[in-house]
Order: sequence, then C-alpha cells, then structure tokens
Amino acid sequence: MSSQQVTAYVNAMFEIAAANGAVAIVEDEMFRLARAYESNEALRSSLSDSTLPTDRRQKIVEQLLAGKAHNVTVQLTSLLVGTGHVSLLPEVADALVKRASSEKQLEVAEVRSAVALNDAQKSRLAEALSKATGKKLNLKVVVDPNVIGGIVATVGDEVIDDSIRTRLDQVKSRF
Amino acid sequence: MNFSVLIAKTYDDPTQSISWLVPKIGELIYGGIASLLVFFMLFKFGWPAAKKALETRTATIQKELDDSAAARRDAENDAANIRKALSNIDSDRAKMLAEADANVASMLSEGRTRIAAEVAELEARALAEIAASRARVGDELRAEIARYAAIATADAVRASLDNQTQQELVDSFIAKVGASR
Repeated sequence: MSSQQVTAYVNAMFEIAAANGAVAIVEDEMFRLARAYESNEALRSSLSDSTLPTDRRQKIVEQLLAGKAHNVTVQLTSLLVGTGHVSLLPEVADALVKRASSEKQLEVAEVRSAVALNDAQKSRLAEALSKATGKKLNLKVVVDPNVIGGIVATVGDEVIDDSIRTRLDQVKSRF
Repeated sequence: MNFSVLIAKTYDDPTQSISWLVPKIGELIYGGIASLLVFFMLFKFGWPAAKKALETRTATIQKELDDSAAARRDAENDAANIRKALSNIDSDRAKMLAEADANVASMLSEGRTRIAAEVAELEARALAEIAASRARVGDELRAEIARYAAIATADAVRASLDNQTQQELVDSFIAKVGASR
C-alpha cells in the first residue's frame, strides 16, 4: 500500500513539476527537505503531530519554505502534510529524484559530507564519480555531521566511503 | 520263766480260775482252728485283694514316678531348648547388629562418596560460572571502554578538524575517486 501511495505521489508531483518547468529545482528541493526531515526530530514531530490541526501544520511548512523553495515544492509538501502522509516524504523525495534522473538517463549519486561543498567541489566530485563509475550522475549532496570528516558517496549499489566516521568505526571494531 | 513252766503251774492248781493268759486246751484247739480258718480266709480272700491293691498302688506310684521322670525330661528338654533358643537369639542379635553396623558403614561410605562428588560438581560448576562471569564482565567492560573510547575519539577528532582540514579531506576524496580509473 505504501509503495503504491509513493508511486502515485511521485507520478503526480513529477507531472506538476514538469508542467511548471521546474523538475530539476523541485526534485532537488524535495531531496534536501527530505534529508532535513530525517535529521531534524523537532521538524519531524511538528509535521507528524496529529494533535495539531492540519492547516496549522501546513502553515508551518509554508512559513518554513517561504522564499527559500519553489512554489511547487511548497505546495507538494503541504499536500503530503494535508493528506497525513508526511511520513512518506523521504521515500517520495528519493523516488522523485530517481524518476527525474531516469528521465535524463542519469544515475543518482548521493554524497554525504561533513561540511557543505562549494560549486567547484560539487562539479569536480561529479566528474570524478562519473569517471569512477562510468555513469552520468545526478549529484545530491547531503551535509551530515555524523560523517565527521571526508565523504561517503553512494551510486546505485556502489558505496565509496572515505569518511572519518568509517575509519573510527574500523578502529572501534578492533577493540 | 518259760512258757511250758507257766502252763504246768496253771494246771497244777485246779482251784485257780481260768488263766488270764493260758486258755484251756480245748479252747486253744478251737481257737487255733478258728485262727487258722481266719488266717486261711484272710490268705485266700484278703491277700489277693491286698496284693492287688498293693500292686495297683505300686503301679500307680511307678506310673507317677515315670510321669515325673518324663515330665522332668520334658522340662529338661524345654530348658535345653530355651537355652538353645536364648543362644540363638544372642547369635541372631549379634548377627543383626553386625549387619546393621555393616549397613550403616556402607551407607555412610556411600553418602560420603556421593556428597564428595556433589560438592566437587558444585565447585566445578561454581568455578565455571565464575570464569564465565569474569569473561562476560571483561567483555562487557572492554565493549564499554571501546564505546567510550570511540565517543571520546570521535569528539576529539571532530574538535581537531577545522574547516581547512575538512576541505582538504573533501579534495582528497575527489582526487582519490578521480584517480581510481
């Protein structure tokens, strides 16, 4: 049921974004919003709190994204909150990114970094990963403090991990 | 004075009355015959009865003597049997006491052996549990130390990573990935 719902939402969102000519922006914003939703407990509880009226939760989304995200992104997120399916946001966002990437014959490359990457680093990283994997990539960068340092890149089933977190885990496993 | 002299003197004096001791001859004859008849009758009829009575009495006495002897023998046999039974009782008592002592000694020995085995088993189990607990506590302690060490290390590493180092790590990753093929 959840998978069918996700597919239905993704198809609808993709068509709406495409109709507005904002597929790339919307899928990128949805992806970042999904990562924020996953990592931010306060945001997750506020948007999932069934004791709050739906319009109040939708208002939170609109205030949060106002001026920072495309109008389509705000409306689609508000739709998820309004239908009580905001918990599907990470799955929907990931599926939307995948759908948008496949439309361009691109593979999604999720990059987790302890710090934000500048545009030059993103460009070089995309080029390097494309070279390493032999695929054209849609790079999605997530700032994740748990990485501590370095980068973890996931392209399909392939994981390239050179993070401080992983090195510390390896040291810990030797104890 | 003898008897013939006395008789002669009596018949010499006819004035004398009848002697208080010596009767007239006729009386003596009749008396003698009567006496003989009496003796004969006594011998003929009284003696067998008396003899039979004596024999009966003798037989009775003999029987009583025999019965007494038999009773004595029986009593002696009974006494012997009782003494023998007493002796057997003493023997049985001694035998039973010996068997009881042997059983008690055997039970004590078996009990001591069993208790010693149980104590040894309990000691072995306790030692094994102590060793397992020690190992478990050691493992838990090591895991806890490792966890705290990892947290402390992560915090220390995070604190030591300034922005420049972070950028260098990112550039290093890009360079390594780019050089991989």
